[in-house]
Amino acid sequence: MKKFSKVASLILAAALIVSCFAGCGKDTSNKTYIIGGTGPLTGDFMSYGVSVKNGASLAVKEINENGGLNGVKFSLEMLDDKGAPAEASTAYDQLFDKGMQISIGSVTSGACQAFAAKAAEDGLFFITPSASTATIIENRETAFRVCFGDPDQGILSARELAGKYENIGVIYNSSDPYSTGVFDAFKAEMKTLNASFKDQSFDDENDKDFSAQIEALKDCDVIFLPIYYDVAGLIAKTCVSKGCDADLFGCDGLDGVADQIDDTVTNNISYITPFDVNSTNATTAKFVAAYKAEYGESPDQFAADGYDAVYAIYEAMKAAGVNDVNISYDELAKKVVEAITADGFVLKGATGDMTWDASGACTKAPQIVKLGK
Amino acid sequence: MSLAENFKKTFKIKNQINYIVIAVFLVVMAILSNGNMINRSTAGLLVRISYSIILAVSLNLVVGFLGELSLGHAGFMCVGAYIGCFCAEELNGIIDNRVLVLIIAMIIGGLSASVFGFIIGLPALRLKGDYLAIVTLAFGEIVRNVLKNLPMFGGAKGLATTHIQIPSKTLFIIGFITVLAVLFFIQNLIRSKHGRAITAIRDNEIAARAMGINVTFYKLFVFTVSAFFAGMAGVIYGHFTNPVMYSTFSYNYSIEILVMVVLGGMGSINGSIIAAALITYINFKLQSQLTGDLAALKLLIYAIILIVVVVFNNAPSLKPLKEKLSVKSLRKAILRRTKTDAIYDDDAAWNRIDTKIDMDEVVSTDIKPNDFSSPVEPEKGGKK
Amino acid sequence: MITLLDGLSLGAVYALIALGYTMVYGIAKMLNFAHGDIIMVGAYAILTTINACGNVWVGFAISVVVCTVMGVLIERLAYRPLRGASPLAVLITAIGVSYLLQGIAQLVFGARPHPISMPNLGMINIGSTRISVSTVVTLIVGAIIMAALTVFVKKTRTGRAMVAVSEDSGAAKLMGVSVNTIIMITFAIGSALAAFASLFYLMQIPTVEPTLGSMPGIKAFTAAVIGGIGSIPGAMIGGVLLGIIEKICQSIPAISPYTTAIEFSLLILILLVRPIGILGKKRREKV
Repeated sequence: MKKFSKVASLILAAALIVSCFAGCGKDTSNKTYIIGGTGPLTGDFMSYGVSVKNGASLAVKEINENGGLNGVKFSLEMLDDKGAPAEASTAYDQLFDKGMQISIGSVTSGACQAFAAKAAEDGLFFITPSASTATIIENRETAFRVCFGDPDQGILSARELAGKYENIGVIYNSSDPYSTGVFDAFKAEMKTLNASFKDQSFDDENDKDFSAQIEALKDCDVIFLPIYYDVAGLIAKTCVSKGCDADLFGCDGLDGVADQIDDTVTNNISYITPFDVNSTNATTAKFVAAYKAEYGESPDQFAADGYDAVYAIYEAMKAAGVNDVNISYDELAKKVVEAITADGFVLKGATGDMTWDASGACTKAPQIVKLGK
Repeated sequence: MSLAENFKKTFKIKNQINYIVIAVFLVVMAILSNGNMINRSTAGLLVRISYSIILAVSLNLVVGFLGELSLGHAGFMCVGAYIGCFCAEELNGIIDNRVLVLIIAMIIGGLSASVFGFIIGLPALRLKGDYLAIVTLAFGEIVRNVLKNLPMFGGAKGLATTHIQIPSKTLFIIGFITVLAVLFFIQNLIRSKHGRAITAIRDNEIAARAMGINVTFYKLFVFTVSAFFAGMAGVIYGHFTNPVMYSTFSYNYSIEILVMVVLGGMGSINGSIIAAALITYINFKLQSQLTGDLAALKLLIYAIILIVVVVFNNAPSLKPLKEKLSVKSLRKAILRRTKTDAIYDDDAAWNRIDTKIDMDEVVSTDIKPNDFSSPVEPEKGGKK
Repeated sequence: MITLLDGLSLGAVYALIALGYTMVYGIAKMLNFAHGDIIMVGAYAILTTINACGNVWVGFAISVVVCTVMGVLIERLAYRPLRGASPLAVLITAIGVSYLLQGIAQLVFGARPHPISMPNLGMINIGSTRISVSTVVTLIVGAIIMAALTVFVKKTRTGRAMVAVSEDSGAAKLMGVSVNTIIMITFAIGSALAAFASLFYLMQIPTVEPTLGSMPGIKAFTAAVIGGIGSIPGAMIGGVLLGIIEKICQSIPAISPYTTAIEFSLLILILLVRPIGILGKKRREKV
């Protein structure tokens, strides 16, 4: 056995060395602009990653069909990061080696932290569709986002709820950056508004029974849910079995909750989102139709964000007058940042009309979507 | 005996081949990376391989040599990563050299993980097998649950390690040097009298106790050492990835390390090294190949490795088949053809003696079995 | 008071799972790590039948059959070859089986959680408190199963053979008990209990995903240990106790995030102080 392992280790070491050489000496000149991105294409958060990938691919396809940018087409490289930082770091390196020039970052907040740290070091431009944690774009010149930031949503929600309701309850996920980010801002804003609320937390890694939380908030008029749709569906059902008829109010994470509940749920559910499938906005309607034709299902907000991120890159590059397919990533980043933050740059996207400032945050009008009867 | 001789005797570099392979590999890679011949993703892969090897080898110490199943190895790594990197971030302003910071952080991370290793070693004195496995699993979850709720470590956002990132091209060299150091320690340990004592506990704890082996001491020792190395691996991880997220160190990660150990062969250091490198490499390759639900294939591969390897190695009914197929018997068959004289094979002679002697037949009731309900008095040192 | 009731209903589910653990552990002397995943399989069986024909009870019947077959198959293919091997080997194989089931489920059904529409049995008023019918049913079914198992083990021939195998499988074999058959029956019963557990789990938490079984499985094992593993009433008590502790912890905001840590610390404490649990029997270690 010993001999075998010696031989095997030698072979393995040799194979590794050879495989490193194999990566070298490739032709480095491009024929397309390479947009990189990572997202959870497997694992627990898979649905978000796949949606973004679909939306972004659709945008790339449309751009290419319309002749690309001055005749140069785009290609999208989307790698799997399982929503985990370590995987996102590795994926970033792989994309970098593949010649990524510009990026749509990562889909989930945790992974995007790792991605953003690496991109900031290199000075690579990225615009994340959906990673909303505030720190991702903070103090990073080349970091932008399409979605609302967590604090924005918390503040919006606080203003929305504080005027309308007396008894406000909150259930948030203490193990999720998105949820805690929204909640912290909500808490601060409620304090400045002088409104009171009751809060409950849970940890969705090992906790899927919400009877205790609903019980504590049973008498509230409204329960604020800064969480994702699958858990929100469970909470809505728990409300039914607990006989709690409070309104449920959430942020963009709640998009998709309609498929999670059945007609036993009678609570009013509404959420803030920049994207509404049934919107009459021309760009949105066009996107929804194209998405349905391509994938045979309705797009969710993540798909729309991915779509807009690619268009933001495209429009900014067009505005900056980028004309060289072999432009280096840092040079491209400088041009794009300048173009995207310029006055008068407005993107008419599937999630509304968007403008950006130097902080990287996106300004657009929120909508409130209502579900239920 | 002179000091030099003594040193030579105690720290003889035994089983040189794996040092040589790793050292040569490291030198080649270092030269390549200096000449910009390897790209970033390969360097990143090498970092991941280096800390995976440390994890697998240190887990092998517990599972393969002590014979206790630990399902909380990622938990030790988690402690090391969080505490080590937290200290590194604090040290960052004081010491300029990032590599020095990394080394100090590795020691701090290792020590803090080993404190937890010691604590987990305490139940190991009284519990065995299934119970201990569950305790280690529970420990891993407790650590994660507590660390992710401490605002000091960034809460749900994870511990940001922005200021202490080291480029993969440098980090993998440090990683592999650490691997060499770990190997040096562990291989010398298991070939010393302490190592034999540890394997004796694995083979028959009560007999080992009867032989005067300080079981308490060795169990605590193995858990502490193994946790120390896992903590070091965690610190390397933290310097590679920003932020350090509690979700990485879940029970699934512990199982992944266990798969490396089982695939490499329990009690085989070289096997662990190869399996760790192989599995990390496969994971890396699968990252861009498998998408969607096909990723479950990875789970299936792990599951099949665990079941097939363990059943094949342990099933009593498959023993004849296994012996027929083993390298040793093949070698023997070849030797038999060349030499007619029977060769005295030390290993074979040892194998014929069943190590699990039925003590009930040999002695009557002189030896009190380790009773679950009353704590065993530790001899000296050990439990406080 | 309501917190207690919530704990009771969650605990009843834990108790049902723990019963399965304790049966298998008590007789086959092995920790069936895959027990939680058999529950997951049962839940998918219910989900598929509901989608196909819309009836929960048909789904439940099918899931009992599926789980039982699954349990027996796993025992036959993965565990029986290892009879007599070291406990470490058996435990690692069990982990492998658990992964295998999760992997297959993910391949077949996808990683996405599927919401499931369970019939709402409504609420009843007991005194001044409202309690959901499913909680009551879960508790009653748990108690009936517990009683039935106790009677089965004590009074029937097969049950007594089980006790014999549990005490000393070598001697039982000499007395003419077919150890393999008895262990197979044990697995069949344990897995059928898993089907019950999946039904009641879904009534509490109506969503199905491949990792559904792992956390409840580990928690139920904790419950089984608290109650004394191998003891049938112990599993019941342990489960209910754990459920109540969990809900009490959750209802106090200051310690609510640390609920998991508290539960598992409790496990470690009990194993250290009284490894045999509340109702467990002492067992001497033989060489």
